[in-house]
Amino acid sequence: MSLTDQASTAPTLPRKPGISRFAIGVAIAAAALTIITARAVDFSLGEIIENFTRKNSVIEGLFNPDWGQIWSRRSRGPFIETLQLAILGTVTGATLALPLALWSTDFGNPNRLLRTIVRTFNSIIRSIPDLLWASIFVASVGIGALSGLLALFFFSIAVTTKLTADTLDGIDRGPIEAAHASGASLTQMLRTAVVPQILPSYTSFVLYNFELNLRASAVIGIVGAGGIGQRIEFFRGRGDWEALWGLVVMFFLVVFVVERISVTLRRRLV
Amino acid sequence: MIRFSNANVTYPNGVSAMKNLDLEIGDGEFVVIVGLSGAGKSTLIRAVNGLVPLTSGELNVNGHQVHDLNRSGMRELRSDVGMIFQGFNLVDRTTVLKNVLMGRLHKVPTWRTLVGKYPQADIDIAARALARVEIIEKTYTRASDLSGGQRQRVGIARALAQEPSIILADEPVASLDPPTSHVVMRYLQQISRELGITTIVNLHFLDLATAYADRIIGLRDGVLVFDGPGSDCDENVFESIYGRSLTADDTMAKQAAL
Repeated sequence: MSLTDQASTAPTLPRKPGISRFAIGVAIAAAALTIITARAVDFSLGEIIENFTRKNSVIEGLFNPDWGQIWSRRSRGPFIETLQLAILGTVTGATLALPLALWSTDFGNPNRLLRTIVRTFNSIIRSIPDLLWASIFVASVGIGALSGLLALFFFSIAVTTKLTADTLDGIDRGPIEAAHASGASLTQMLRTAVVPQILPSYTSFVLYNFELNLRASAVIGIVGAGGIGQRIEFFRGRGDWEALWGLVVMFFLVVFVVERISVTLRRRLV
Repeated sequence: MIRFSNANVTYPNGVSAMKNLDLEIGDGEFVVIVGLSGAGKSTLIRAVNGLVPLTSGELNVNGHQVHDLNRSGMRELRSDVGMIFQGFNLVDRTTVLKNVLMGRLHKVPTWRTLVGKYPQADIDIAARALARVEIIEKTYTRASDLSGGQRQRVGIARALAQEPSIILADEPVASLDPPTSHVVMRYLQQISRELGITTIVNLHFLDLATAYADRIIGLRDGVLVFDGPGSDCDENVFESIYGRSLTADDTMAKQAAL
């Protein structure tokens, strides 16, 4: 008897279970939340469309960008500074992120109190967005690239530690047991049984971190922390939208190239 | 020498896996522990190197009072006791050599481990271990590219690289096919005889146990119910260990024929 036998009728399947009440509840809650919050912020699709199609110098500037900004000498310095900030911020922050992530795990930090301290520290660092870091440092250290570097340093720790710690949660514990059984110290165990398992993922996170930092370093310039953001803010303040969009186009090109390279490298790693 | 004196292990969930165990294993013995799943085989083996702490009683291994050891004493003891696992517990992403060198970790200073530059003497020990299990041609192969039997041989080499006086094998062949199981058991037996290493092996299959063991220990519900040579293992002994008469599941040869 074949399974596709057309002559005889197929056996009836048991009754299909209905949608769980939990799923229905979540769907209703999500819909209700959307409606309530839309009301609260006076969301109106009509208004949005109207605003965009009204005579608007920002949009006009977008369709007529100042291409000269792409090779403007005055923008070149800030661009390079943005790149430098992104690279330095990634290298310093991501380097520290690896031990921080290891110390937040139960196998990397058997001392429960210390572990909680590290986890709390990571949480706090994570809860501050990059712009806020930049504002804090501009206020305390002053305007310029140093604030930007400090901001990106902490931002990088936040991003890479989280990603690495999540990956560490899913590693194979077998080699850890083997290392313990052979009398290895904690550091030796981490170096030989844990790090090799996550090295490709960790490298991938560092590259991703760099991508994020590149974008962040442009934005933090708006609050005075150096890089191309300061030039963008300069043009925004003057209302010179065509120059601003020209800069943005240039920035987009750089980010696009970096992203392509990063994605290719990351795909090869894992 | 390994001596359990009135040893008990009760896990936090209330399960009593070792009850009043009195057992002595002399240097160089080849002992196989048999019993149902949950009989306490893993507990006994893991107590020897302190992976499972005793709830009460005493355990003396090579002069160490295991129940009293501090962290560095425990590491000292463990470096002298090699362990082989059912799941191999290799680092799949790295090479066979790096895996075997994990057996040298206790003897190698930490900075060398961090940088990855092991002394030539330790690499020589690793090479000798690999040669003994006849897998030295795979030295630079990634562990994940090996078959199950090859992986277990690497596991044995890693334990050997410690130059231990005791080897513990927790179900070393449970994941392997019958011919490979025999190969692995033969290596363990050979190593024990030629190097004088005390060897304790947990096994499921009784025919393997009687074929390779000098001494068989039967556990049932955490209690030692049999201790003697394989030749003494008759139907009654099996019933006392397994609580029922022998079936095809209990011998590898019969199960392979199924």
